[in-house]
Amino acid sequence: MSYDPPPAAGRPAGWRPRPAPEQPTAFLPKIDVLHPGPLGTQFIPEAEEDDTGRIGPEIGDDPVESPPPPKDTARTVVRSFGELFITAGMVILLFVVYEVYWTDLISAGKQNQATSSLDTQWKDQDTVGGPQRGTHYDLAEGKGFAKIYVPALGADYHFTIVEGTTDADLDIGPGHYVGSALPGQPGDFAVAGHRVGKGAPFNDLDLVSSCDAVVVETETDWFVYRMLPTTDEVAGWAAGKGAQPQCKGVAPLGGPYAGLVGQETVLPSQGDVIAPVPHKQDLQLPAGQQASLMTLTTCTPKFSASHRLILHTVLTNQYAKDPKQPDKVPPELKETD
Amino acid sequence: MYGWIWRHLPGPTAAKIAEATVLVLGIVALLMFVVFPWVEPLLPFNQVTTG
Repeated sequence: MSYDPPPAAGRPAGWRPRPAPEQPTAFLPKIDVLHPGPLGTQFIPEAEEDDTGRIGPEIGDDPVESPPPPKDTARTVVRSFGELFITAGMVILLFVVYEVYWTDLISAGKQNQATSSLDTQWKDQDTVGGPQRGTHYDLAEGKGFAKIYVPALGADYHFTIVEGTTDADLDIGPGHYVGSALPGQPGDFAVAGHRVGKGAPFNDLDLVSSCDAVVVETETDWFVYRMLPTTDEVAGWAAGKGAQPQCKGVAPLGGPYAGLVGQETVLPSQGDVIAPVPHKQDLQLPAGQQASLMTLTTCTPKFSASHRLILHTVLTNQYAKDPKQPDKVPPELKETD
Repeated sequence: MYGWIWRHLPGPTAAKIAEATVLVLGIVALLMFVVFPWVEPLLPFNQVTTG
């Protein structure tokens, strides 16, 4: 352990004071700064962390080996900056943990709560409402009103859809754009969901391919939407993928919907992708001529807000729930290839 | 900074370790429950709606 005092002005680096040779005639006691003697003959500076990481003067140590260093402002400043940068790095890492894992935990709790309150509500209305069943939604911001199933993303893939797309709503689960169509209705039933964190309901939205079922459960019905053909598939649809059995009812849409494909990436400003006729915000089509679409939006690429990933699906099937068989589910839910 | 905090924690080393742990946990909780939820909507990571 060596100690280098800061080089004083005008002295070469590495210079260190040397004890003067002993004068035989000296009669006054000498204070040796480099080799301080026992207590009383040396100056002990106030407790201060030295550059070796140890704290304060260590009386027990061999005083010759490690004399307490004097105050060194430059060193303190540099060290403090280093500590600040390391701390900032730790905080940013912690933010990643928060964003990717922690919000999942929080949102899972909120999602469970929304699901169980929706289940209770459906059950209560089944018994209270009795035969007076019909399409009825209890829409309130942040409250669940339907469930979404995407069998292609796994048999256990289901989320409760809440009303609204504010940050607070989307913390709970996928959110329905207020004012857009409701499940099964003509127009565009538009739903937004997080891609990363917050339960990440739409994390794998890019893995859904054309004809894959997106099933929506409401209090009274099951609605089966299927993804429209993608840009590459439109040309040879009828002879190609469109011939597959699960693609029944799925075909490139015509008329005002011409050019609408199953998956697209748009800029965040393109709000017209969730218009009743997507990309045609100003087109006022009578409800009777509107197709029943469902559009899912999320961010893309992952961890970025630069673009939006959009999935357009079309209603192909609808099953009314049978109150006598509450556990009956549509066969589309088993399409988990 | 950390040295200064360590020196100002009272008690013997064992007590200092306990106090430092409590401090760290408190700061992590503050970040996780207050600071990050506040700062997150301001950052361009996870915006999923259009329009």
